[in-house]
Amino acid sequence: MSRATTNPGGSADRPPDQQPMIVLEGVSKTYPGHLTPAVAEVDLAVARGSIVMLVGPSGCGKTTTLKMMNRLIEPTTGRILLDGEDVTKVNADQLRRRIGYVIQQVGLFPHFTVGQNIGVVPRMLGWERRRIRQRIDELLELVGLPPGEFRDRYPRQLSGGQQQRVGVARALAADPPVMLMDEPFGAIDPITRERLHDQFLEIQRTVRKTICFVTHDLQEAIKLGDHIAIFAAGGRIAQYDTPEMILSRPANDFVREFVGSGAAVRRLHLIALSTLALDKIATGSSATAGAHPVIEVDGSGRPVAWIRVPGVDGSPALATVPLSGSVYDAVDAMLDAHSSAVAVVDGDGRAVGALRWEALVGELQMRGRHR
Amino acid sequence: MDLISYLRENAGTVLLYGEQHLLVVFFAIALGSTISIGFALLVTPGEAAPQRWSLDWILGAIRDGALLVTAAALTVPSLALLVLLLPLFGLGAATTVTALTIYSLYSVLRNSVAGLSSVDAGVLESAKGLGMGRLRRLIRVQLPLAWPVILNGIRVATLIDVAIAAVAALVRGPGLGQLVLTGLSRYGAANAFNQVLVGTLGCLVVAAVFEIFYAIVERLTVPRGIRV
Ligand SMILES: Nc1ncnc2c1ncn2[C@@H]1O[C@H](COP(=O)(O)OP(=O)(O)O)[C@@H](O)[C@H]1O
Ligand SMILES: [Mg+2]
Repeated sequence: MSRATTNPGGSADRPPDQQPMIVLEGVSKTYPGHLTPAVAEVDLAVARGSIVMLVGPSGCGKTTTLKMMNRLIEPTTGRILLDGEDVTKVNADQLRRRIGYVIQQVGLFPHFTVGQNIGVVPRMLGWERRRIRQRIDELLELVGLPPGEFRDRYPRQLSGGQQQRVGVARALAADPPVMLMDEPFGAIDPITRERLHDQFLEIQRTVRKTICFVTHDLQEAIKLGDHIAIFAAGGRIAQYDTPEMILSRPANDFVREFVGSGAAVRRLHLIALSTLALDKIATGSSATAGAHPVIEVDGSGRPVAWIRVPGVDGSPALATVPLSGSVYDAVDAMLDAHSSAVAVVDGDGRAVGALRWEALVGELQMRGRHR
Repeated sequence: MDLISYLRENAGTVLLYGEQHLLVVFFAIALGSTISIGFALLVTPGEAAPQRWSLDWILGAIRDGALLVTAAALTVPSLALLVLLLPLFGLGAATTVTALTIYSLYSVLRNSVAGLSSVDAGVLESAKGLGMGRLRRLIRVQLPLAWPVILNGIRVATLIDVAIAAVAALVRGPGLGQLVLTGLSRYGAANAFNQVLVGTLGCLVVAAVFEIFYAIVERLTVPRGIRV
C-alpha cells in the first residue's frame, strides 16, 4: 500500500493535493505527574478527504491523540502538521476555527437556539448575517433537520440523536477542511446510531472532509473508516491499515485479539451487494421452469413471494435487502427469515436480483483465493 | 392614635424613608455584585480540565480565601462594623453603603463561583474546541449559564441588606431605621410604637419591591433556553 505512514511528511515532489492533510510525526504525550506516556511515538498520516478511525480499548490514548490535533492538549514531543503547516506555529483559537470538533457529550450551548449554535464559528469569523442565516439553513437541510422546524428550537427540545446532528452541523459551519470527532455517536441508542452512520457517510460523500474519528467500537470503525488505526495500551498504534487488511491480515497478536473471532463475519460488511454478480430473477407466475429463481411481484414490481428457487425444495420465505447494503445485511436477512435466498431490491423496492447461499459461499471462496 | 391614622398623617415621611432605604440597599447591592461577579470571573478557570495545574491551584486558593474573608465579614455584628467604619466615612450614607456592600459580598461571590464553575464540562470543551478564547467563553457561555444562580445570590444578599440597613440608622444612615430608632428612643410616648411598627413593616415592603424587581429582571435576562 502506498499510504504515507512510511513517508509522513509528504515529500515535496508530490502534488499538493496528494499530500496528507494531517500528519503526526513521533508524537508523544506524558501528562504532568504521570510516569508513562498516554500517547507514545505516534506516526500517522491522514489522506485528504478520507476518514481515519482511531479505535482501541478505553484509556489507550485515542482522545489524547485527537485533542493534540487541535491543540486542546499540547504534545510533549513530536510534530503535528495540518495541511503541511506545524499546528504549534498558529494561534490556537484561529486553528480551532478551521477544524470541526464534535464530542460525545455534544456540548451544544443550552442558552442558544439551534441556529445560534450552528452560527457560532461563522459569527466569530465575522461573516455577514445573511450569509450566516443561509449557511444555518443549508446545514440543517444537510443533516436532515428541516430548518423551519428546528432553527429556533433550544437544545433541550431535541432528542439525543437530533442534538448530535446539530453538533455535526455546528462543526461543519465554517466549512473546515478537517473534522475531529470523539465518539460522537457513543451515547446514542443502537437503532438511531445505525441511521446516523448511514447519514454520516452520505454527508461525507458530499462534503469530502478529512476526518479523524475516535471510537472504541470496531464495528463502527469498519463501517465508517477508509483507514483504521488500532491503538494498544500505552498509547501506541498497533496497526494502521484499511479495514479489509485489519480484518484479514492482523499485524500482531494484539490486533488479532482485538479483532476477535468474528473477523470473517465482520468482513462481510466490506462487500457491497452492488459488486456481486447476482442471480437474474424471473418474475410473475407465468415463468416456467428454468435456471433462474422465480418471484411473484405486485403491480409496481415489488416482490411478494418466491415461487421457486433452484436447488431449494418448496418456496422459501421471502426476505429482501436493498442493493445499497452489504453482504452482511444480506446474510442477516437470510438468517432472520430462515431462508437460503434473499431478493435484492433497488431504491424503489423493485426486485433486481437474487442472492443464494451456495452462490455466495462460492463467490467468497473465489475472492479468498484471489486475495 | 391608631396605626392607620398615624400612617395617613405621616405618609410623606414614611415614603421618603422607604425610598431612602430602597436606594441605599440598591446602591450597595449594585456595587457589591459588580465586585463579586467581577472577582469570580477573574478567578474561575475557563475550562473543565485546566492544563496548567499550578495556575489552577493558585486560582483555587484565591477563590477559597476570598470566600473565607467575605464569610467572616458577614459574621461581624452589623453594629460593630458600622462603628468601625465611622472613622473612615463619617456619619451618614457613605458608611451605610460601605457596610451594606461588605455584607452583600459573600452571598453573591459564593453563588457566582458555584454558578460559573458548574457549567457543563462538555459545553466548555466544545466552546474551546470551536475556537472561543477564554474571555469569550466566560462572557458568552459561562456567565449567561451561571446567571440564574448568580441572580439568586443577589436576591439573598438583598434580603440581608434590607434588614441590616435598618440598623444603620445608628450612624445616621438613611432609611426606615430612622423610624425604628426614633420610636425606640421615645418608647412609651405617643406614636412611638407605631413608628417602630411602620419601620419594620416598611422593611418588608421594601423587600417585596425588590423581589418583584428581581422577578422581572429574571424574566428579562435569563436566556429562554435555560429557563425552568
Ligand atoms: N487531563 C488528563 N490528565 C491526566 N491524565 C489524563 C488526562 N486525560 C487522560 N489522561 C490519561 O491518559 C490516558 C489516555 O486517556 P485518553 O486519551 O482519554 O484515552 P481514550 O480516549 O483512548 O479512552 C488514560 O490513562 C487517562 O487516564
Ligand atoms: Mg476517549
